Amino acid sequence: MSAEQGQGREGKMGLQMLVVDDSPVTRKMVRRAIGLCGLEVAEVHEAGNGAEALTQLASHRVDLVLADINMPVMNGVELVERMARDPGLAAIPVVIVATPMSEERVERLLDTGARAYLAKPFRPEALRDVVVQILGPKGAVHV
Amino acid sequence: MSEPTSELLSNVLGEVLQDAAFVFAEPAEDEITFEGEVLRSTIAFESVRGGALRLVTPTRVAAEIAANMLGIDPSDPEAESQGRAAVSEILNVIGGAFITRYFGTQVPSQLGLPVTDLVATPLPVARRTCAAAMRLESGEPVLLELDLEEGPAA
Repeated sequence: MSAEQGQGREGKMGLQMLVVDDSPVTRKMVRRAIGLCGLEVAEVHEAGNGAEALTQLASHRVDLVLADINMPVMNGVELVERMARDPGLAAIPVVIVATPMSEERVERLLDTGARAYLAKPFRPEALRDVVVQILGPKGAVHV
Repeated sequence: MSEPTSELLSNVLGEVLQDAAFVFAEPAEDEITFEGEVLRSTIAFESVRGGALRLVTPTRVAAEIAANMLGIDPSDPEAESQGRAAVSEILNVIGGAFITRYFGTQVPSQLGLPVTDLVATPLPVARRTCAAAMRLESGEPVLLELDLEEGPAA
């Protein structure tokens, strides 16, 4: 991937987000939440599993990844691990958006490189809070 | 650890339907029956004990759930086409809510992938530990069944 793709969004207008979930309904729900939560978003990309996400990350600038865990082909844990090992992707924050899970599993995901965990179902405001916490208010929200 | 109850399943099912799909359900006061074809979704889990959860919904309910999740009108053709995926996702969330509520958040747990099929009624009798039979505001029935493996010997 190019150096620019992993460098964040300086000089760009609006967030580039990647939603990774094997459920098309959930991807649309997350898209809807993104649209409702007041984030300044330029584009939302979609992937159906971790492998598709890596393909998307290789071809698009992405500022933030919202990823499910329980997916076929490549699950969210492996996606987070691969991104953490790739110098070009390690700086891109990953928020896990998944069903309720054990504290041990959440801690393991955060240790692996995920930046936050959002339990399904979630309200748009909760998504906004997580993104603002990670990217800062100037980078994420209409004022 | 006490055995799971129908009340626990009812609470989980009712809360997830309400929070994730804006559909309100109450425990059925009468026996529920399904007619025609229904969607039967199954998800396996591993935790202190393994097992599976099964969710049975009429196709009309699946379309209503999809419409609410996507913010579209239930008559929109997309609501019907996404019904199966919507039910799968609802059961996925139910699975996470159930295992964390029943086994707790301090033990490792793992959910499988939900599998949803269109099946004809009457449904074959399946082994189950307990079940929650509920009705939506529309009167449509939904059924959540739990098949829990035997616990470790005391």
